[in-house]
Amino acid sequence: MPVFTRTTKNLILKIDEFFDNIDLGLLVFKEAIKAFLDKDMEAFNRHLQKVDSLENNADRLQRSIENEMITHSILPQHRAEVSTLIDELDEIIDALKSSLNEICIEMPDIPSSLNKNFISLSETSVSAAEELIPAARAYFKAPYTVREKLLKVYYFESETDKISFNMKRIIFQEMKELDLAHKAHLRYIIHHVENISDLAQKAADLLSGMAIKIVM
Amino acid sequence: MILFFLTSGLFLGWSLGANDASHIFGSAVGSKMVTFRKAAIIASVFFILGAVIQGSGTSQTLGKLGAVNAIGGSFTVALAAAITIYMMTKFALPISTTQAIVGAIIGWNFFTGNRTDSKTLSTIVAAWIAGPVIGAVFSIALYILFKKFKRSVRIHLIRFESYIKTGLVVVGAFGAYSLGANNIANVMGVFIPAFNLQDLNLWIITLNSNQQLFLLGGLAISTGIITYSWKVMDTIGSNILELSSEAALVVVLAQSLVLFIFSSTGLSDFIVSIGLPRIPMVPVSSSQVIVGCILGIGLYKGVRNINFKVLGEIGLAWLISPVASGLLTFFLLFFMKNIFNINVGSNTGEQIAAAEQITNTMNYSQAYASSIIKYFLLGIFIFGTIGIAYYLLLTRKKKMGLQKSEEKFWMNMK
Repeated sequence: MPVFTRTTKNLILKIDEFFDNIDLGLLVFKEAIKAFLDKDMEAFNRHLQKVDSLENNADRLQRSIENEMITHSILPQHRAEVSTLIDELDEIIDALKSSLNEICIEMPDIPSSLNKNFISLSETSVSAAEELIPAARAYFKAPYTVREKLLKVYYFESETDKISFNMKRIIFQEMKELDLAHKAHLRYIIHHVENISDLAQKAADLLSGMAIKIVM
Repeated sequence: MILFFLTSGLFLGWSLGANDASHIFGSAVGSKMVTFRKAAIIASVFFILGAVIQGSGTSQTLGKLGAVNAIGGSFTVALAAAITIYMMTKFALPISTTQAIVGAIIGWNFFTGNRTDSKTLSTIVAAWIAGPVIGAVFSIALYILFKKFKRSVRIHLIRFESYIKTGLVVVGAFGAYSLGANNIANVMGVFIPAFNLQDLNLWIITLNSNQQLFLLGGLAISTGIITYSWKVMDTIGSNILELSSEAALVVVLAQSLVLFIFSSTGLSDFIVSIGLPRIPMVPVSSSQVIVGCILGIGLYKGVRNINFKVLGEIGLAWLISPVASGLLTFFLLFFMKNIFNINVGSNTGEQIAAAEQITNTMNYSQAYASSIIKYFLLGIFIFGTIGIAYYLLLTRKKKMGLQKSEEKFWMNMK
C-alpha cells in the first residue's frame, strides 16, 4: 500500500523539484536576457547552459513522475490531467531554452532604445509563468486557492500582449531607419518572448478546470 | 453423494461472490483506486473469515422463515437461487442473493405446504427497506464530514489519495468481513438443518459442522470473486454515478457500517443494554444498501449526475429476483420429487421423522466428507502460498525491470 512505502513521498518530492526547476529556469531566463542586452555574452552563455541543464532535469522528472503515477496507480482519476499539466509546464521551460538558443544563434541586433521595453517584455512575460507555479503547487495542497492565484497569470499575460503590441508598433511605425528584414527579425524575437506568457495562460486554463473538478 | 448435494450451495456461493463482492470493492475498483486483483484477494480472505467466525447469527433468521428439512430440498432451493443469480449476473445486473434465497425458501414452503412465518418475513423485508435508507443517510453525513475535513487540513493531494487508497482497503476488508458474516446464511443456511458433519480439527482451531459448511461456502464465494466479479464491479463503480475517490471511500464505509449494524450481535446486545429495541440479525441486501449509498452521494451532489436508466434496471431486478427464484424453486422441487424421486422435504409435522431418516443414512458419508474437506483445505493452503509467493516475485521483477529501463534510457540520453 502506498501509505506504507516511500513512493508517495518520493513522488511529492519529484513534483516539487519539477516546479523548482521551472521557477529557477524563469529566473535564469530573465538574467540571460539582461546579460544579452548588456552585451555580456559570457554571462549569457552561462545562463543558457543553466537553462539547458534545468530543462534536461525537468524532462527527466516529467518522465519519472508519469512512470511512477502509472506503475503505482497513483491519482488514477486525476492522473491524465496532472500529466497534461506537467507537460504544459515542461513546454514553458522548453520555450525558455529554445528562445535563448535562438538568441544565441541569431544574435539579434536590438536597438538600445528598445532595451527598456525588451526587459519589461521579458519580465512581464516571465511573471505570468512565475505566478503559475504557486497556483500549480496550490492545486496539490489547497485547490480552493488556485483560481485566485491564477488571476495574476491572466493579468501578466494581457500586460505582455500590450507591451509586445507597443514594441511592434514602435519597430514598424517609428523606427524608419531599420530595414524590413531587421524589423521582421525583431518581431520574431518578441514573439518568442511573448510566447512564454501565452504558454502560461494555456496551462492556467487547464489548471483552472482541474481545480474546479477537484473542489466539487 | 453428500458432497454432490452441496454443489448447488457451492454454485450459489460462487454466484454470490461474483455478484456481491462488487458491493464492497466495486466503488474502489470502478474509481480505479484499488486494482481488481488486490480487491479480489482481500475480499476473498475477509469473506471467509467473516463467514466462519461470525456467520451463524443470520442463519437462524432464515431458519425461522423456513427450515428446509431434507438434503434434496436444500440442494434444490440453493440451485434455484443460484441459477437466478447467475442469470442476473450474466446481464451485469446487481441483484440481491438474500432476495433470491428468500424467494426460494418461500417457494419451498409453498411446495411442501409449510407456513411462511410472516413476522420473520416482514422483519427481513423491513431490513431490505431500512438498509438502503440508512446507507443513504450514512453516506450523505460521512461525505459532508469528509469534505469539511479535507478542506480544513492542507494535505498534499497525492498523500491524501494514498490515505484514501489505504482507507478503501481497510474499510473494504471490514465490509467483506461483515458481508461474509451477514450473507453466508444465504449460501449455506438452507443446508444447516439437513447436515451434521463431524468436528474438523485443523491443528490451530476446531470447526464444527456449521463452520465447515460456512468455510466451504466461503471458498466458493472466493472463487466467484476471483473468476467473475469484475463485470459487476465495473457496473457498480462506473455506470450509476461517476465516483470520486473520497466518494468511493464514503460509499464503502457507509455500506460496511450498515452491514455491521445488521450482523453484530455485540452491537445489538449493547443497544438493548441501553434500553433501545434490539437490532434484528437479518441478512441485508447488500445490493440495495450500495445503491442507497451511491444514491445518497448523488442526491447530495445533485441528481443530474445519476444514471437513472441503470437504477431502473436494478430496481426491476429487485422485483424479478425473488419472484423468479420462488417460481423456479417450485418447479425444480416438483421435478426432483416426481421425476427423480428425491425427498425434498416435508411439512413441519413430518419434520422429525424425516430428520431421523437423514441422520441414519448419512452418518458414514458425513464422516468421510469431513476428511475430504480437511485434505481439500490443505491443498488450497499449499497452492495458495505458492501462488502468492510467485505473484510477489513476479511483481518485484516487473518493478525492477521498469526501473532499470528508465535508468538505461536516461544514461543513453546523457
